[in-house]
Amino acid sequence: MDGCSFVVPRGKISGLIGPNGSGKTTTFNLLTGLLEPDGGQVIYNGENLAGLKPYQIFRKGVTRTFQVTRIFREMTVLENMLSVTGLGVPERVARQRAEELIAFVNLGHLRSEYGGRLSYGQQKLLEFVRALMTDPDLILLDEPAAGVNRTLLQHLLDHMHRLQEQGKTIVIVEHDMNVIMNHCERIFVMDYGVKIAEGPPAEIQRDERVVEAYFGRRR
Amino acid sequence: MERSEVRGLYLLAAFLACAYAMPFVVGAWTGTVRLDERWLGNLATVVIGGIMQGGVYAMFAVGLTLIFGVMRIINAAHGEMVMMGAYLTWVCFFYLGVDPLVALVLTLPVAFLFGVAVQKLLLNAVVGAPELTGLLITFGLGLTMIYAVELIFTTDFRTIPYAPGTVRLTNTIAVGQNRVISFVMAVVISTGVYLFLKLNRLGKAIRATALNAEVAMVCGIDVRRVYLVTTGLAAALAVAGGALVSIQFGFNPETGVLYTLQAFAIIILGGRGHYLGALIGGLMLAVLENLVSLMVPNGTAMVELAAYGLMIFVLLIRPGGLMGVKEG
Repeated sequence: MDGCSFVVPRGKISGLIGPNGSGKTTTFNLLTGLLEPDGGQVIYNGENLAGLKPYQIFRKGVTRTFQVTRIFREMTVLENMLSVTGLGVPERVARQRAEELIAFVNLGHLRSEYGGRLSYGQQKLLEFVRALMTDPDLILLDEPAAGVNRTLLQHLLDHMHRLQEQGKTIVIVEHDMNVIMNHCERIFVMDYGVKIAEGPPAEIQRDERVVEAYFGRRR
Repeated sequence: MERSEVRGLYLLAAFLACAYAMPFVVGAWTGTVRLDERWLGNLATVVIGGIMQGGVYAMFAVGLTLIFGVMRIINAAHGEMVMMGAYLTWVCFFYLGVDPLVALVLTLPVAFLFGVAVQKLLLNAVVGAPELTGLLITFGLGLTMIYAVELIFTTDFRTIPYAPGTVRLTNTIAVGQNRVISFVMAVVISTGVYLFLKLNRLGKAIRATALNAEVAMVCGIDVRRVYLVTTGLAAALAVAGGALVSIQFGFNPETGVLYTLQAFAIIILGGRGHYLGALIGGLMLAVLENLVSLMVPNGTAMVELAAYGLMIFVLLIRPGGLMGVKEG
């Protein structure tokens, strides 16, 4: 990442795209504290998050999912949800919220099933709602559409819009251009660790530099 | 389950059957096996004794497996913490006149704090480093502890005379009272720790960190705090183990080394980082050891050969250990 700067609009769904290895996941890692930036700032609610530990950032209301789903395979669905700590609420309330969230994505009947025994799509949903346990304000989704069938994807997207209606800010990294172009209001394009373009979908689709980054220079 | 995995399980079962049959075969060959009432009584006694001993070993091996599971650090000073537990109990018994079991109320908090200090001063520096680094630093810690204890208590063997009676189950089956007490305590403590990991918030955080530290971090878990609690808990388990072996066997500053090896064998056998695996490994190892010492002539010398032989062969068949999952 080098001199890359962007402002994510609050309460909107934004997309972060770019060719493989352009630094999208690295951006997420920097935002969530898994990587510490050697320079620069991450401003969230007027506060610099750079250099904070992941759990501290998490407790400020920033959550994420991973490109390849990372749930706790040897824990049950409910335990996965309750492994989230730092909610500042009593156990009973946490449990109730966990139950609500797994019902929200229709996993209620699987609450005692081990994570490793869910289908990939179900694991993805579980990871998604686990990220919602803290009632976060900024949700970072790393390739939500990858490896998910159409029906499930539609579910995920519906949930995403419902969250946005509740005033949440969402950023997605995605290779599926349909998802990006139809669901994001603002798009950031990265290549080799720098931002090469930014704008609404229609603008991005026409942008010369973006086309070049994806398909190479036209001769 | 894949076919190769099923085959592996059959192979393992066949091997274990052979391993446990071996002492009987050797015993029959050399004539130590006599199918009279007295011998059968002895057999039952050593099997029961093995289970009781195994329960205690398993309990402190769980401490080793916790540290490894959560931080991927191989704690080579674990046996020394067991030895420290034995000495703490001894001091409480002879100087303060406190019953060894009641002394746990004093020694366990001390052990926990000791673990926390070890974590802060030593282990935090090597979490995430290559495994050899952690092994070396804890090896150094172990040596330091041995010589520190030697300096204070000399190398003399110590014993704690406690509950010397025997519990007679039948005419021919008898078990030492101290063994029964130790076993019951070990079961209580192991169950307590298991429930803590299963039900408690912090316990769940420990399990989550062991499963995937990075994900645990983005789930809001303060991993550093988990490390502190884990090592504190592991030290407490080791010290509790020390208290329970001190009322059964003599000890000196160097006995810790044996317990480190024992705990290693148990967790490797059971599956690294696996809680139930450690318990099963502990029972299996101790029962086999006792069978060997009963039936094989000059058995006490062969005990360790049998124990580590078992470990090596199980590893060859199932590299992850009995309860281990496939790596990656």
